[in-house]
Amino acid sequence: MIAVDKLCYRSKLRYVNAGEKFTYSMLTLLFCIVSRSFVLSGAVLMVNTTLTVGKGGIPLRRYISLMAVPSAFLILSTLAIIVNISKIPLDGYALPVGTFFITGSKASVLFGLRLIVTALAAVSCLYFLSLNTTMTDIMSVLGGLRCPKIVLELMLLIYRYIFVLMETASAMLVSQKARLGNKDLKTSLRSFGRMGSGLLIRAFQRSGTLYDAMESRCYDGRIRVLEEQHPAKPSEIALIISYELVLLAYTVWRGVA
Amino acid sequence: MSKKEKILLKASIAFALLFAVTPAVNAMHIMEGYLPPSYCVTWGVICIPFLAAGFISLKKRLEENRKSITLIAMAGAFIFVISSLKIPSVTGSCSHMTGTGLGAILFGPSAVSILGIIVLLFQAVLLAHGGLTTLGANTFSMAVAGPLLSFGIYKICSRLKVNRKVSVFLAACLGDIFTYCVTSIQLALAYPSESGGVAASAVKFLGVFAPTQLPLAVIEGILTVVIVIGLESYARPELKAIGFLKEAK
Repeated sequence: MIAVDKLCYRSKLRYVNAGEKFTYSMLTLLFCIVSRSFVLSGAVLMVNTTLTVGKGGIPLRRYISLMAVPSAFLILSTLAIIVNISKIPLDGYALPVGTFFITGSKASVLFGLRLIVTALAAVSCLYFLSLNTTMTDIMSVLGGLRCPKIVLELMLLIYRYIFVLMETASAMLVSQKARLGNKDLKTSLRSFGRMGSGLLIRAFQRSGTLYDAMESRCYDGRIRVLEEQHPAKPSEIALIISYELVLLAYTVWRGVA
Repeated sequence: MSKKEKILLKASIAFALLFAVTPAVNAMHIMEGYLPPSYCVTWGVICIPFLAAGFISLKKRLEENRKSITLIAMAGAFIFVISSLKIPSVTGSCSHMTGTGLGAILFGPSAVSILGIIVLLFQAVLLAHGGLTTLGANTFSMAVAGPLLSFGIYKICSRLKVNRKVSVFLAACLGDIFTYCVTSIQLALAYPSESGGVAASAVKFLGVFAPTQLPLAVIEGILTVVIVIGLESYARPELKAIGFLKEAK
């Protein structure tokens, strides 16, 4: 149902220590957006693709289609950055429309391109984390970072119930489709709305049952879960540290130069 | 046709095609890595008071009635699911609801701020809608600003005795439009235009996203009304339990 969640359970890097993967992707992400350079972002993009596809065993085609998810936002907002409407033509390009120009400077076009590469590299960092780490592992990392207990508990319950509700919703949508519930815009709007209210009613009912079930298993305000332990390997830590140091050195060098 | 006209024609065809083939129109989450670090931090810091308020009210609610944890969790899961499903749209491109307007009307804006940041985190990790560095900015526009406005409009309308359907529609629709405006302004502040500064840039971002976001807001409004009607006819006791139907007792 959720492609990323399915794929991450199949990843070969799933049992690598979650803290390592989290630290790696966060630091790399940070260097990407701080340095915002073609070279660093390109390198990060390549390394992450190799890690996720090569080491993790995520199919390349799936990876590429996942990378295209934010493309609509990327294209539209970059267009908004590099296209100007002004009376004075700028040095990059200029298309006259009546008395105005659709125009942009060379610097801004370069800036836009750099932004696209940076954003793609950043998305690849996000995917490295989400395609190789299960959500429960990410939550235990967040727990280690002192995320409030109530929030973590809510996350755990929400994560579990996303799938239950999704299954319910898709069953409802299928049965609506089978009864021509989507024959035109009006009926499909009505069907979707009814599915929504039906879903929420079911969710309310389930929440009561869920609480009873939890209480009968001695729920006292805290959900205790056993975690699998996958200790970090020193060689992997060394590799991550040296990689991040290279990124840091490049970022600092570029900042100075 | 002159050469310039040809270029213009080609450009306009390309522009039209872009809208025809947009793979997925989300509720305008700012994507991962799109904001400079200083803006990521600033928006995150701005969210903290709202999140703290949400956290305190959540804690109070749980102390009053521990049973409400499952209800709140279900609400969060519901918001995620409803925002991840394709909704019927006019243009044929696939788009998604935000669901936060509905959440704000039903559960109040303080609960939605915490639920919103959790849902946004899940959306970023599981669906790549939005991102981890842009979590602060997205939380502000989608889990704080939009729901607050929706809730305000809903309250004002019910004070003024406006028809409930109309007030729900206005709350959801305007909340959506407000979210889209806030996101455009966030982008404009980070990327001011070369000719005209922040204001011109805001107009550009608003313009670029208007064709997808405005119909979406209307559809979101209609769907929220249909959902609320459905709830009112089949789930009165539950609605009373969460305090939505207090006055109708």
